[in-house]
Amino acid sequence: MKKKERAPIHVTLSDVERAYKKVEEFRRLIERGKTPEQIFKDLLKLIQVDK
Amino acid sequence: MTNELINTIFDVAAHCKIPTVLIGGFALPAYNVARTTLDIDICIYIKSQDELEQFIEDLKVLNILTKQKPKINQDLFTVFGKFGEAEVWLKPCDSFQWDAQMVEKIYKFYANVFVLAVEDYILTKLARSDRSATDISDILQILIANKDKIDWQYLFFRLNWIGLENDFREILKVFTLDFDKNGRTISEEILNKFKMSKILKNSKPVENSNDYQKNLRDEWE
Repeated sequence: MKKKERAPIHVTLSDVERAYKKVEEFRRLIERGKTPEQIFKDLLKLIQVDK
Repeated sequence: MTNELINTIFDVAAHCKIPTVLIGGFALPAYNVARTTLDIDICIYIKSQDELEQFIEDLKVLNILTKQKPKINQDLFTVFGKFGEAEVWLKPCDSFQWDAQMVEKIYKFYANVFVLAVEDYILTKLARSDRSATDISDILQILIANKDKIDWQYLFFRLNWIGLENDFREILKVFTLDFDKNGRTISEEILNKFKMSKILKNSKPVENSNDYQKNLRDEWE
């Protein structure tokens, strides 16, 4: 099997602008009282398999 | 439920005195970043095959099973619980092994769940052999969200250690573009912090934390 290769680094201005927006969204969640732990647990619920 | 799988793995690891960290996308909230992901990745610091087998036996008692027969020199194995599965890594990244300093720097995220130091976590993203655009996006967000928390000298040391300083510089270039166009001071601060860390640019790769501390002193004196 051919080994995957690292993607070359190609970062654009829109990538960094998007990154700033995402960081801001996280900061807003924290301001509204969510903790990083709660955010982590919310993300976990999305992949939960109910049996 | 899925949370219980993670907590149980960390509980068993703590009982066995095995340093263990959450890695991959689910560790991102520990660094003030979040995105959806499907994979639970946990990394354990195991020193012997016996220790690994004992860990697997202890998980089995709590109904967390693997269909594999993992060996100490493998990268990872998969475990299955009632409500989900997780990949258990034997090294933080497929491109490098644990070392004593990395273990020393792990810290508590919450309860018994630990994560790598942010600098080492960045390295797991940058160094992975199948690095993707998502990893680069994660690194950008981590740098923005943690610019004042990152130990830039340690990060610079690690980039040299793994030989990826040039790749990291390519990522940083975008902050120059952003500062020129948008004038965000955070972008300028990130660039300045990295420039300051270049004082260690002649640091040689070192094997352990004592050597690292000595290198630091040598560079400053």
